Amino acid sequence: MVELVIFVLMGSGALAGGVTVVMARNPVRSAMGMLGSLVSLAVIYVVNLAHLVAAVQVVVYAGAVLTLFLFVIMFIGVDRAEDTSETIPLQRKLVAGLALVVAVGAAVLVWRGRFSWTPAAAESVPIPNGTVQALGGELFTTWVLGVEITALLLTIAAVGAIALAFYRRSGKASAEK
Amino acid sequence: MSPGAFPDVAWAGLAPELVMVLGAVVLLLLDVQVKPGVKVLWRSASAIMVIALALGIWQWIVTEPGGELAFGGMLILDPAAAFARLVVLVVSILAISAGRSLFVQLGNRAAEGLALVLLASAGFVLMAASQNLVMMFLGLEMGSISLYILAGITGDGVRSDEAALKYLLLGAVASAVFIYGVALVFAGTGSLGLVAIGGFLAQYLVLSPAVLLIGIGLITVGLCFKVAAAPFHVWAPDVYQGAPAGIVGYMAAVAKVGGFAALARVLLSGFGTFRADWALVVAAIAALSMMVGAVMAIISTDIRRLLAYSGVAHAGFILTGLASGAPGSPSVWFYLAVYTVQLVAAFSVISAVGGAASSGSALSDYRGLYRRSPFLAIALSVSLLGMAGLPLTTGFVAKLGVFLQAWQHGLQWLVVVAVLASAMAIYLYLRVIVTMYMHSPTTDDPVGSDRPTFWALGFATAVTVVLGVFPQPLLKLVESAIYL
Repeated sequence: MVELVIFVLMGSGALAGGVTVVMARNPVRSAMGMLGSLVSLAVIYVVNLAHLVAAVQVVVYAGAVLTLFLFVIMFIGVDRAEDTSETIPLQRKLVAGLALVVAVGAAVLVWRGRFSWTPAAAESVPIPNGTVQALGGELFTTWVLGVEITALLLTIAAVGAIALAFYRRSGKASAEK
Repeated sequence: MSPGAFPDVAWAGLAPELVMVLGAVVLLLLDVQVKPGVKVLWRSASAIMVIALALGIWQWIVTEPGGELAFGGMLILDPAAAFARLVVLVVSILAISAGRSLFVQLGNRAAEGLALVLLASAGFVLMAASQNLVMMFLGLEMGSISLYILAGITGDGVRSDEAALKYLLLGAVASAVFIYGVALVFAGTGSLGLVAIGGFLAQYLVLSPAVLLIGIGLITVGLCFKVAAAPFHVWAPDVYQGAPAGIVGYMAAVAKVGGFAALARVLLSGFGTFRADWALVVAAIAALSMMVGAVMAIISTDIRRLLAYSGVAHAGFILTGLASGAPGSPSVWFYLAVYTVQLVAAFSVISAVGGAASSGSALSDYRGLYRRSPFLAIALSVSLLGMAGLPLTTGFVAKLGVFLQAWQHGLQWLVVVAVLASAMAIYLYLRVIVTMYMHSPTTDDPVGSDRPTFWALGFATAVTVVLGVFPQPLLKLVESAIYL
């Protein structure tokens, strides 16, 4: 029961944060919305016994990454007026229509599929062990390939940042007029 | 595997990917330390890909029919994965060959560009070989993020930037949809491995599958975005139009191989027992893709948008084969192999005509191309005729294969739609060919192609015609890729 209350509270907190990120006009407010979303998720992680993940979430994402975001926002300047006029005609109506279709589709699935809060495989899922040792063990044995691929992903991101941003500033003229 | 034990590392099975990834790192380091010319980098990248292809062929030969699980069940190294890898490698080599002028024009960004091509190829192969949904996501991201960067790598020109940004934003949404689906499937089945999911669903009757069905739907939507199936295709025309011509064919082709391989694996191997639920949805997406693609391609005036919409239609044809749920779907693999080669060939011609770093290629630029360069005109004609599915090209055998497969599995209405769409598509490909041969050119400047482009186009043309007349060798190859 306590779990459900926390889930509903924090879940709506995370959702509200996400909506704020998208809807807010002021980028600082968007960043704060993201902070709210991340912290709410961290609480959900704690409820699911993933203490280390929750701590990492707060320290790395809410702490480091978000601070970086704020720095970037401050550098660019928050008072710069954004052009938010929409050029695609009927865009909003179209999106509203599509959202309705998706909602109806999900409703049909929930109704036809006899939605249940208890997942089918509930008993087969082991109780998670969120200690640092267990997590590290899992990460570097079962998921070691995933860890390596993630390292490659970071390499790709760094290569891309250099290719897109660095050479552009150095002003290398390219062949295109 | 018991937790705490280090998984068996399949060094040999992953040798091609290791070569590609290490090769990419070596290219980057070479660029920093030695600063060789672009030509040297390009030759090194080609050599790396050829080595990877040799290893890939070796792996194809030694792979057991049932495949083996690697890395504690993260990957499955089976004939399907080995075949997808061969297709990705051939397409990459063709694209690197034909894209030489692009990399030369990139100047000091050439090493990054080549490294990203190598990494993207490795990523899509991993995606095709993944047996675990999280691994599939990582492979997908590895390939996709490289492609987002490649779309904007010329770094100048508003359209190239627009293409990259659009691709990034919409791709990120699709990835989010995919991973949300993975989470719901995990909630519904208690595992992330496709074999385990398939086993669970075969063993238990799921009484309230709502969560699971929504999860399957979201995963399908995420992957349909990657392969540009309607209605998730809106990014494709803009991205193909804006991205540098020398790389568009590659981007489109490898994303399709990785996406369809993953889709086939998820739907057939993971959720085969739910075929009654997903087949109709996949068939509807296929029908919509074919009609939207054919109609929109007919009204396009830019050859790249035309090819993008024709790509949407082709995604529909491939999904037609997939919707049939036939074990292993050999026709799907054949279609993927021959279509991606035609795609790369067509965009290589566009790159030679319009400039490798250019954005946008109006159809009027192709007036009288035959008189300016007979070779390019013939190469483009053959690949377009192949896409149209005319007899004596591989496209005909491929289309026939998916249509037959769908017909035999009770999707007659879908085959009727597909034949209609093919008939419409023939008109649009012929329109381009008529423009090239019948109209008088606006300028008489001859268009040249460099030697690597010549060889790549020659190979693609030869494959399209020779395998169109004698499809047996490739058909045999894909039939042994059956994995279910």
